[in-house]
Amino acid sequence: MLKKTAMLAIGLTAGVSLSAQAGTLEDVQKRGVVSCGVSTGLAGFSQKDEKGQWSGMDVDVCRAVAAAVFGDDTKVQYKPLTAKERFTALQSGEVDILSRNTTWTQSRDTSLGLNFVGVNYYDGQGFMVSKKLGVKSALELDGATVCIQAGTTTELNLADYFRANGLKYTAITFDTSDQTRAAFESGRCDVLTSDQSQLYALRIGLQKPDEAIVLPEVISKEPLGPAVRQGDDVWFNIAKWSLAAMIEAESLGITSKNAADLVASGTPDQKRFLGVEGDFGKNMGISNDWAKNITLKVGNYGESFERNVGQGSPLKIARGLNAQWNQGGILYSWPIR
Amino acid sequence: MTANSVPSKIFTPKAARPAPVKTTGAVAWMRQNLFNGWFNTILTLAIVVGVGSVLPAMLDWVFLSASFSGAAQADCTGTGACWVFINAWSQQLFYGTYPAEEIWRINICVVLMAGVLSAPVWLPHHLRNRVDIALLLLFPLVAVVIMDGRLLGLQYVSTDHWGGFTFNVMLAAVSMILGMPLGFLWALGRRSTSMPMIRSICVVLIEFFRGVPILALFFMGSVMLPLFFPEGTTVDKLLRVWIVLVLFMAGYMAEVYRGGFQAIPKGQYEAADSLGLSYWQTTLLVILPQVIKVSMPNILATAVMLFKNTTFLLIIGVPEVLNTAQSALNNSAWLGGYASEAYLFVGFVFWCCCFGMSMVSNHIERKLDTTRR
Repeated sequence: MLKKTAMLAIGLTAGVSLSAQAGTLEDVQKRGVVSCGVSTGLAGFSQKDEKGQWSGMDVDVCRAVAAAVFGDDTKVQYKPLTAKERFTALQSGEVDILSRNTTWTQSRDTSLGLNFVGVNYYDGQGFMVSKKLGVKSALELDGATVCIQAGTTTELNLADYFRANGLKYTAITFDTSDQTRAAFESGRCDVLTSDQSQLYALRIGLQKPDEAIVLPEVISKEPLGPAVRQGDDVWFNIAKWSLAAMIEAESLGITSKNAADLVASGTPDQKRFLGVEGDFGKNMGISNDWAKNITLKVGNYGESFERNVGQGSPLKIARGLNAQWNQGGILYSWPIR
Repeated sequence: MTANSVPSKIFTPKAARPAPVKTTGAVAWMRQNLFNGWFNTILTLAIVVGVGSVLPAMLDWVFLSASFSGAAQADCTGTGACWVFINAWSQQLFYGTYPAEEIWRINICVVLMAGVLSAPVWLPHHLRNRVDIALLLLFPLVAVVIMDGRLLGLQYVSTDHWGGFTFNVMLAAVSMILGMPLGFLWALGRRSTSMPMIRSICVVLIEFFRGVPILALFFMGSVMLPLFFPEGTTVDKLLRVWIVLVLFMAGYMAEVYRGGFQAIPKGQYEAADSLGLSYWQTTLLVILPQVIKVSMPNILATAVMLFKNTTFLLIIGVPEVLNTAQSALNNSAWLGGYASEAYLFVGFVFWCCCFGMSMVSNHIERKLDTTRR
């Protein structure tokens, strides 16, 4: 009996290590869809509309990968994941790519068996206060009551910042954005802290959005990016360059509107990008017009930004850090050549 | 004949005087029930003042200054509740992201479910036992096949699109249908005296699934379980939580049945033995019907509890109704803060269902109560 159990255990372990060699790209091509882990609902990043259609910055990364692999941005299977189960879902192979508002940190990158493929939004933790308070800077917040939307690192950042500046505070933690917003509105706390992208969403939801301001201080670095399983370089490359292509398209001036025309009339740079010259897709195991498909179906990074969180959306977030490197931001993609 | 010839000695009673005002009508009723004594008078007045100060504002918010028609946030023009939000999201709240042209399949499943669950009422008496059990056990399979669609040659709808309130209802129903017989087996195992091994296994199972909070069980199902499978074999998330729900239900039902077993007099077993019935004949033909009858109130209470517990699936990202409501609240086109409307609506729908279930359970209890104890 004992022997049997031991042999069974060995067999199972062997099965695990063997099946780990399978390539994600082949799996995805066989399945016909990219399985993409997104948030269950986060304004501007991954959200469903009334018809059940997904949209958002994070969703656009999924669509870009699908466009690169299949030439069709609709071949995505969205898996809404909570913060707790997101890494398990990626590790266990339930999703091929995790594009879920996840901060790229050293510990996650090195200890969770995943690789971040880039940054699709530079975020940072900030503060929102009521205008009545007359506060202009976070340094004036000594003794404040702070509402926190429970996140993975929000509370730690807050504690670090206040301790570093010798300020006192009382924290009240809430689980959902509705509760946080309601507490802020009813005056239970003076300050609300969360990632800046979320502060803008929370602010819109207030009864009187004009009476609250977002303070200029950003107290943490939150580079949000998609991640894939570690150990599959082919798939890693596809995901990395799908995101890079969106950013590169913007810096090359290629948009979803002019991409088709530029195939014939573009500069050498643009033609290389659009797959007219060179074998850049082939090197990754996909077709050469991968970047053209991404731009045609999803648009470049700028288009995606404005549509989902920028001026074309109710959130109206300014580009800020997320502008191109030559426009005052820190977006910089590697050349496709 | 003239009128005069009839002797006018007939007794004509006087019209009765009306009863004293104090003993009839609304005034008397109020006196007896609301103002009998200084303490109750104070209580009544306090309640009237309390309700009176809240109710008008509430009615105003819910009905009078609420916005009802429209399809976008811009249509929320009233100062009260914005039911436009519920209106716009109603399809997802009820059906999840199931394709709109395939929703009839969900409706069929719900109708089938109602039919199967009410089968004891409409089936002819002589067919009831066998056919009903077969129908019940077939239903989960049929529902899954219809929803999935591949076996029937219909459009394939993956489990990612199953959601909404109908999903809560059906998940609860199929968990109940599978959990009840499983729980009965566990309860039998726990009572077994001749098989100590089986008994210990059953005790461990029952105590585990009853003792661990369902949230923890859901987390195990969604976060831990996938790590145990070999990489590459992913078991559908819905299947994992369904298994958790079935086992959870079985754990609770086992204890409900145990209470029922204890209520069966020893004479019943002895009578069955003296008739020469085997163990399974005794259990299934003599004991089980009585156990179910005795524990009916608890069975239905557990069923209602399980139904409400399906909303806990929210925390592991299954798109059931509460999760759908929350993701709707986070849509950037609807950031106006409609949480009150959303939760009120979900609460109302659940209350309607649970109230209906308790009405049905009252009816069943009355019907089963043959002993008139």
